[in-house]
This record gives sequence, structure tokens and C-alpha cells, in this order.
Amino acid sequence: MDTLADSEIRIYRALPGTDTGTDADPVQTEIVRHSLNSAANQMKRTLIRTSFSPVIYEVLDFAAALYDTKVRLLAQAPSIPLFMGTLNFCVEAAVEGSGGVDNLEPGDVILYNWPFGTGSHAQDTAMIQPVFTDDGTLVGYSAIKAHWLDIGAIAPYCTDTKDVFQEGTFFPGVKLYRGGKLVDDIHRFVLANSRMPAFVAGDILAQATAVSIGARNLVRIVDRYGLEVFRNTVERIFDHGEATVRSYFEKIPDGRYVGHGMMDNNGVDDKPIPFNVIVEVRGSSVRVDFTNSPEVQPGPVNCPVASTVSASRVAITMLAGGNQAPCDGHFRPVEIVTRRNSMFDPNPPAPCFLYGWPAMQSMEVIYHAMSKVNPETVPACSGGDLCALVWWGTRQDTGEMWGDGSPFPVGHGGSISGDGSTMMHAAEAATRFASMEVMESKFPWVVEQCQFVQDSCGAGKYRGGMGYDLGFELLEDAYCTPTLERTRTRPWGLAGGGEARANSGTLRYPDGRVEAFTKATGLPVPKGAVLTIHAGGGGGYGPPEQRASEEVEADLKEGYITEAFAREHYGNL
Amino acid sequence: MATRIGVDIGGTFTDLLFYDDQTSDMLVAKVPTTPASPEQGCVQAVTDSVDGDQLRQTQYFLHGTTVGLNSLLERKGARVGLLATRGFRDILEIRRGDRDEMYNLFWQLPEPLVPRRLRLPVTGRVRSDGTVHIPFEKQDVLDALEIFALEGVNSIAVAFMNAYANPAHELAAESALREAGFSGEISLSHHISREYREYERTSTTVIDAFVRGRMSNYLRRLEADLRGAGFKGDCLITRSGSGSMTFSEAEDRPFETIMSGPVAGAEGGGELSRQLGLGDLITADVGGTSFDTCVITRGRPTLLFEGKIVGMPLQTPWVDVRSIGAGGGSIAQVDVGGLLRVGPESGGADPGPACYGKGGENACMTDAAFYLGMLGEGKLASGLQLDLALAEKALQPLAGKLGYGMDETAIGIMDIASASMADAIREITVEQGIDPRKLKLLAFGGAGPLMGTLLARDLDITGIVIPPHAGNFSAWGLLGADLTRATARTRIMRLDDDGLANVNDILAEMYSDLAARAGSSGDGGEWAREAGLDMRYKGQEHTLSINVPGDNGRVTISTEQVREIFTRDYDRTFGNTMDEPVEIVSIRATVRHALPRRSEGLSALNGSDGTHTIREAYSFTEKKRMDFRILDRSSMQAGDTLAGPAIINEPTATTYLDANWACEVHGSGCLFISRH
Repeated sequence: MDTLADSEIRIYRALPGTDTGTDADPVQTEIVRHSLNSAANQMKRTLIRTSFSPVIYEVLDFAAALYDTKVRLLAQAPSIPLFMGTLNFCVEAAVEGSGGVDNLEPGDVILYNWPFGTGSHAQDTAMIQPVFTDDGTLVGYSAIKAHWLDIGAIAPYCTDTKDVFQEGTFFPGVKLYRGGKLVDDIHRFVLANSRMPAFVAGDILAQATAVSIGARNLVRIVDRYGLEVFRNTVERIFDHGEATVRSYFEKIPDGRYVGHGMMDNNGVDDKPIPFNVIVEVRGSSVRVDFTNSPEVQPGPVNCPVASTVSASRVAITMLAGGNQAPCDGHFRPVEIVTRRNSMFDPNPPAPCFLYGWPAMQSMEVIYHAMSKVNPETVPACSGGDLCALVWWGTRQDTGEMWGDGSPFPVGHGGSISGDGSTMMHAAEAATRFASMEVMESKFPWVVEQCQFVQDSCGAGKYRGGMGYDLGFELLEDAYCTPTLERTRTRPWGLAGGGEARANSGTLRYPDGRVEAFTKATGLPVPKGAVLTIHAGGGGGYGPPEQRASEEVEADLKEGYITEAFAREHYGNL
Repeated sequence: MATRIGVDIGGTFTDLLFYDDQTSDMLVAKVPTTPASPEQGCVQAVTDSVDGDQLRQTQYFLHGTTVGLNSLLERKGARVGLLATRGFRDILEIRRGDRDEMYNLFWQLPEPLVPRRLRLPVTGRVRSDGTVHIPFEKQDVLDALEIFALEGVNSIAVAFMNAYANPAHELAAESALREAGFSGEISLSHHISREYREYERTSTTVIDAFVRGRMSNYLRRLEADLRGAGFKGDCLITRSGSGSMTFSEAEDRPFETIMSGPVAGAEGGGELSRQLGLGDLITADVGGTSFDTCVITRGRPTLLFEGKIVGMPLQTPWVDVRSIGAGGGSIAQVDVGGLLRVGPESGGADPGPACYGKGGENACMTDAAFYLGMLGEGKLASGLQLDLALAEKALQPLAGKLGYGMDETAIGIMDIASASMADAIREITVEQGIDPRKLKLLAFGGAGPLMGTLLARDLDITGIVIPPHAGNFSAWGLLGADLTRATARTRIMRLDDDGLANVNDILAEMYSDLAARAGSSGDGGEWAREAGLDMRYKGQEHTLSINVPGDNGRVTISTEQVREIFTRDYDRTFGNTMDEPVEIVSIRATVRHALPRRSEGLSALNGSDGTHTIREAYSFTEKKRMDFRILDRSSMQAGDTLAGPAIINEPTATTYLDANWACEVHGSGCLFISRH
């Protein structure tokens, strides 16, 4: 990562290509590229199958990746796209924190979660294992950043912190394993800071096992081809990723495209936060400019720069990466510019628990900018949020503390390819929400409903995906931290398409009282109450009057829309 | 001892194998599949190959088919209505919120099998512990039935929340439908699966309702045609979860046969491993468009308990066969970033590889192999003569883009294809904690024997087995598919003495359910019972399935011993263990009725013309073109040995034996290949 800093502005670029590797064999390169992706996939599977928290095994709230010695991304397993390419900051900071490269030995595993290095909140804890061949040569790093259920903050999930020190316990690059042996002092210290130590202990073991699987596989690949061939090949892999993204932007007309968006609030005071991102295309390169960002916020919606960079990379790679698994080369044509001490590049100790929310909005805004190139480039806006709920409480019969957190889908925008679907936000594309029957077998609630709501989609030649209502009826007292965003701005349509319903939440108390909520920390939800999220739909694409009449009739017949909606948007029937 | 016929209907060809138990004679045939009425092609193949007397004496007809699968792929099935718990009619569309292609911004959900207007709500709610939260409303079922009647629904799926824990509401819905006069098919989710996960169970139930009519028509017609031709034995079909079931049972549980086709090869691998004591195996089934691989441990293919077809999950046992798009017809191209890619796009059988001369212009894996001499003279069983000039012409542009020589380009294609197959094998083994180097590779399918030594090189495997009739091995696999029935229940509890006592009570119920599936026809013969437990450390979600040794399906070992088995398997799979308490999540019961054993082995091949020719081909071991011996597999006798480099032809496949590899003909007719 190349940082050109003057007092205010910072520019982030991936390391440029080198002259080495140009003669690497294209066949061997393809083989090594496959093997690296396969190795990252094995890390992911191991973590999923051995972890204790739904947030890892179901929500896939983690990133598993392999890096080379220059901390360039070799391969990353498909999990949360938002984490794409964020781990390089972690790896650099973790190695530095633990005493530098010279202080590393085989079998070390470093723990690191300082938000201004990881880009995430404290719960997203990285484990990094330096990878050595048998003769002691450092060949890269195996790294996983995963969401731990609780690592001490004012609540298991927070929406109103005032500084980062209210958000958790920090591990600034400490060795959890030294030469392959668990450092018991650190391990006990970590668990002592969690409300749910059993879950965290299980996840720590799962995460450590998975990084070691990655390390073992990286060594196997290097051994098979020899270090020199491996290094050359890797350069060629990066060049290949770079060429793929460049070939996309070459076809985009040069220009400066401005996208606009708005955050609901910062979690502490209730003012909306409008912002813009400028996407500038020059030849085959693209610059994503955050210098107009709002000031650093007093509430936890600040996005540390690592996540600003990765949100930009995800947005761009999903457009231009040719559906490939990303590597550092894909990032080379992308330059990200931030302004220090702004919402998208905060300094410590700014609160950043909800860093993911501005990051996610920035993706929508980057796509908004790209739609100015040509609306065909992107879909219309989605519900624009994860509609996430985090729950905890104490079980009546056992007195044990329980906790769970999950994102939920939203309607997605219509596009030139057709109507939108209902699924997870693009920032969490590989994620699933847990089966409701599985939830009910573990947590004290009965799900009241999970069904589409008529007219929640944006009208258009291609309509948006449906919004839906999901309600939880509590069988015991519990607490919930809902984190709804985009409740004030409706998902926009494109090319003449209509807006969809925005997200909202309601809590119906046993006495029949109904209260609305958006973001709240530790909202008490008593036994008998029903908490419902009303997830937003997707915006429409193209003028509604161009929608084929049989499509409109089908929407009516299937109950996606009402006659009133059809009359309002599609005219006479 | 029993004479039997196996017929495997694939996308392009229908393969037949007849096995006469008296003489151990085996007969092989291959005819084009007739997609419009596959049973015709099937019966045609039988009557063409087997004479009337033989057919009358045949005891088993074993069948693998893609009829159910195609019904889903082509969306040709029943008009299905779904009764769902009120508030949950959109489960099929909301799913779990995932998308099949994570980096694809434009991804769209394929149309669900049941449109929204035919997914209707029924009041009534069961909690996860089986207690009733909201009482069942019969009137909702009757209201829904009126709509179904108007819409011409002929198959109704009923899938209610937590029906796995208490099916009372589903049963009540069924009686209400019947009382009201509905005479079509009804699929109840708890009959399909007693495991939790509403989306997966609903999806399976809807698939069952969708394919039921078509499947049962097909099976009835096929059986009638076979009877008409004189067949008097039993008709069996393979299950997605290994083993086979009778046609009448398949009519009742058609969703269990969806993967009937690809499973046959894995079954064959299991049988061969047991018969010849080959130990653990990896199968490498390379066809025209795909590469299928499966791990065989302790003589059985590895099982999963959930499968997926065109994005739709099925909650049913599923042989863990992994497929990637790499086969003889896989197209090679140079991508926008300048790297050489092989597959997943395929030239299929028509036009197929350029060298087929059917108008294909893309260079495929077969073109590369033929160019390098790996296919010898290039005479295919169908009589097709491959055309070297066309292969060369197709490879030329790739060589140009890469700045490579022709040989280098073709070698690159083979290397890439082999490496991606090897990666698939590595993932499927390593994730189960199995070291692929310790296993033998069983290569079959039209192009499997071609890839054997390359794959073994990439995986550091030292032993390869090539069965006789390698191109028809899947049909052979059918012949040994035991009759099996399986069921599972989700019941979460601690692993302790009380828990195990519970397990035994539940197992007893499950075995009586399984016996009931035999229906009025009854089951002759011996059925062995097997029990399995899905377990995890308390707090985890994912489970490990272990087989519990027991006495006729009862768990007789102690809690401690069960925990020991779990711990050992966990350690093998993940490389560590924990001190946490262990939980039982699901209980699995299987009954198995072995078909009468075939005589050992596959029988030697006839013919013994020992002549061979010499031809130049590329050696991947020596990294140069050199002389290869070309001979006919039928000329090799049990006990013969042969040192590579050589190319061994048989009607359905070509074995490429690279330099530094040697092969020995086993008494069974298998080629055992090892490093020299």
C-alpha cells in the first residue's frame, strides 16, 4: 500500500506491477492461481465447520485470505465481500505491533483488532500466521478476521458509542501462539473480557485451526514449484487481475461521475448525514474520491480508512472483476482518496462501531455515480441495509447468557437484466440468515412471520425486488440492538424507475402499544412483545409505462402489487 | 448368485451392462438416449442386447436415470400448490437471502417451482419443542383447496413450520384435503424429512410434489415394457444417497432418486473397493463435459445429508460427488487477462471437439490430447475417426495469443485440466481430513483413464486402478447397488446415558417407519440395520456424522465410547478436539438388504491378439515426445505386466500410461498402475 500524504489528503493505491514475472509461464500461473484460491476455500470451510457462533458459521462474518511477503492479496475465500482486501492493513499493523518481521517465527499467531488498523470494530479480530517453509524462509501470511460474539464493550452490539474505548478490548498485535504453543496468559486475558467466553474460546480455536490450514497449503504450493517460480507466477497472477479490471474501465468514457447518498443519522444525534463520492475514470484507471466527506462524527458511524478502501475495491471489483476471485492485481487500477479526520478516514479515538454502515452506503453511492456513466452499468438501489438485529439475554431455566446476531435480506434494484430479487446486500453477498427453525430451537422466540409486503417494490419496466416483514414474538425477556439504516431515504429507481419502500422497525408491546425503532442499543423486549423489521424493497429500472402489460398482470395475480399500485404506476389496466 | 441388467441413462448415451451369473459373462452396449421417452431407448437397449431366454432368467433390473433431474432442469412436472404456515408462504422466494454468484451484481433468483398465488397460508403454529402455539384452522385448507381446484393443481405440498418436531398439523391438513375430495398427490414435509431447516425441507417437499407424477408414470411404463419383453425379476433404481430402492418405493419417494445417475459410478467404486480389498479410493469419472469425484472410505462413498439441484436444496442423503466443468469437451481459451483457461464451457457431444469434424471450431481438451498423441490413432468406439488437422487448426489461434509452440499449448491445456481436477480432489479429501496421497485413484468414464497418470502426478498418488469397460463403469456400478432405506430425525440432546436411551427409543420408531415403507408387498429377506448420529460440541452449529456400531440398530456401546468415536473423527477432520460437552443433533437409521453377491471381480476380457504398434506421443514424465506402445486391452491377460510409455485402447476408453509408470493386469480384469 502506497500512501502519499500531505497534511489533509491521503491516496491509497495497491503496489504497482513489477518487471519480474512477465516471463512466468501462463499455464503454471493458472495452476498456481487455482491452488491459491482452493487453499483459501479450505480455510473458510474449516472455520465454518468448527466455529461456535452463528455470526461466523451462518452469517460468514469473516475474511480468510493469503498474502505474500509484501502483503499483497494472493487469494481470498468468498465470504463477506465488504472485507475484500482489508486484511493487508491488518497484516501490516499486526506484524509491526508484535515487533516487526524479524521477530516472527514459525507457528506464531498474532492477534490484532485495533479498529484503525483493521478498518472494523473491535469484535472483528484478526489472527495472522506468518508462513515459513521448512528451511525457515518467510513466504507470506495466512490471515483471518472474524467477528467475535463479544469482546467487552458497553453492550454486545452498540449504536451510540462516543469514543472507540467504549467499543471493546483491544489487542494491538500480541502473540496468541508463540512457536506453535498457545500463550496461556493472553488466552485467559482475552476470555476474561468477554460476556460469552465459551463461544469466544470455541471460535478462537476454530480461527487458529483455519489459519494453520491456510499456512500449510501455502507451503505446499511454494514447495511444489520452488520459491522463485512461485514468486514469478504470483506477479503474473497480479498482472492478470489488473488487466481484467483495466479492460472494463477502458470501455467507460473518461469523466467525473458524482454519486449522492445520505445516512439516517450518526446514532448519537438525529441529524441526517448527506455525502457524496466522486468516481473519476481516466483511461483504464479509476479514482474513488472521498475528500468531500462529512466531518468525523460524534457517533459510531465513522469508517476507518481500511474499510473505506475495501468498500471501494468491492464496489469496483464486483463491477469490473469479471466474476473472478479477487487478488491484489484487481486493485491496481483503483485509487482511493480520503481526507484525514473525516467520516471516511477518522482518527482515533473516533467511535466506529457501525463502520460497516457508511461503508455499505458508500458502495451504493459509488454505484449511483456509475449509473451516471450509463444506467445500464448497475442495478437500481437496493433496500441499502443489512437490517441487522443483535439479541442477548439470560435463559430463564438455566441462567445462561445467550446471544445472536444476524443480517437479513432486502429487496434489490431492477436492472437492465430484469426484475430485482430479495437477498442480502451486495456488501454481504455470500451471507445467509439462519434457518428460522434453527433459531427457534436455540433462542426464546417464535417467528411470527417472514413474508413479502405488497407494493414494497419500486415500479419500473423492471421492478425492484420485494420488501418483506419479519417479526419475532418473545417467549422470555430479552435485549435487542437493532441497527436499521436507510429509513429516511427510499431506495432510488434508475432510468425512470420508481422508488421502493424504505426500511423501518416496530415493537408491539404485550399491552398493544406500538413503537417505532431504527437504531437502538440494548432495547428491552419483554416476553410477549413482537419485534418486527419491515425490510425495504428495491428501486425500479426504466419507465413503469414500458413494463409489459402481462408482467403487470402477473404481479397483480401473484399478489406482489395491489390494483391501486398498478393504477398509480402503470396507468390504465 | 443372480443374473442382472444395469441400465444407466445419461444425457447423451444410454449404457447397458448385462451380467450372467452362471457364466460370469458380461455384455456391454451403448445406444443413443431418447430424451422424449427415455424408457423406449432403455427397453430397446435391453431387447437388442439380451435374448428372450436370458431376459426371462434375469433376476434384477437396476436402473440409473436422469428423468427426475431433467424434470427439474426442464421445469416439466406437476402443477403444484403449497400449503404453508400463515406468515411463511414466501419461504421459497426469500430463502436464506443468499445468491448463487456472489460477485455478480445482476444475479436473479430463478423462478420458484410454485408461483406465489399457489402458495397459500394455513393458520396453526407448532413450536420447536413440538407444543402447539396457535391451533390449526381447517377452514384455511378448504379455502386453499378451492383456489387449487380453479387453478388445476394436481399435486399439493404441505410444509409447516416445525413439522419435524410435531407433524399433527400436516396430518390434519392431509385429512382435510382428502375429506374434501382432493384425489391428487399429496406430499407432507415430515414424510420427506424429519430434520429442521424450513427452507430446505419445503424445497424438498415441493420438488417431491413436482416430480412425483412424471416419475411414477415413467417407472410404470418402463416396468410394463420390461414385463412385456419377458422380464420377471425385481426392478430397482439407485438413490441419490447410495444404494437402490424398488420402483414402487421410488414412486412414493421420488425425490430420493434425483441424483440417481451420477451416483452409480461412486457405488461402483465402493463395490470394487470391497470386492478387491482396494482400501480407500478417490474416483475420477471424466466424461465429455464434467469431472465427477467422490471419496470411498471403508468401502462406501462419502455421504452428505443435503444436496442441491439448480439452486434448489434437497434435504435428503446425497452421495458426496463433486463436479467441476472439466472433461473431454471442455473448451480452452485465452481470457481477457491473457491467461489460458480450460472449461467450464463445453463443446458437448455435438459439435464437440474440433477433431470430431462435426463443425466444432473451439479447441477442446480432446483436441489437445489427440494432438499430443495420447489417444493413439484416434479411432473411437462409435466408428468416428478423429482428425488431426482439425485439432491443429483449432489449437493454432491459442498458440498465437500465448506466444507458444503447438505442443506447449496442448500440454498447457492438459496441465490446466489436470490441475483443476486435482484441486477438486484435494478439497474434497482435505476437508474430510484425508490425505489424498494415501489413497488409490479409480479412473473411469470416457476420458478418466486418459487423465489417470497426470492426476496421480499432480496429487502425488502412487496407485491407479482402471476397471474393465472403463467407459461403462457407471452401469457396472448399478449392478451392485444394495437395497437401502434411510431416515433421520432432528432431536437435540446431551450425549449422556439418558440421551443414548432416548436414541434407542427413537431408533426403534424409525426402524418401524422404515419397515412400513415396504407397503403391502412386504420385504423378503434379511435387512441389516445401521445407526448414525450427527453430533457436535455444545454451542457449535455444524455437526459431524458418525456411524455407531451397534447390535441390530440398537446402540449398545457406552456414552464414553460414543464420545471417543466422535472425538477421533473430529480430530481426524479438523486436527483438534475440545473439552466441551457433546450434543446429539440428529439420529439416522438405515436398513440395507444386500443383493445376492456377484462372483468376484469383473471377469477378464476376451481376445488375445498380442500385437502392438508404435506411435509417437508426448510424455509428461519425460517432457518430450517419444515412442509409445499402442495395444488393445483385450490382448492383455491376467498377470501380464506392461511398462509405460504405452497407450491401451478399449472400445469405451483409452488408457494413457506415461513413462515411469507400469501396469499389471489383475485377475479381475482391472489394470493396476503404479509408479515404476
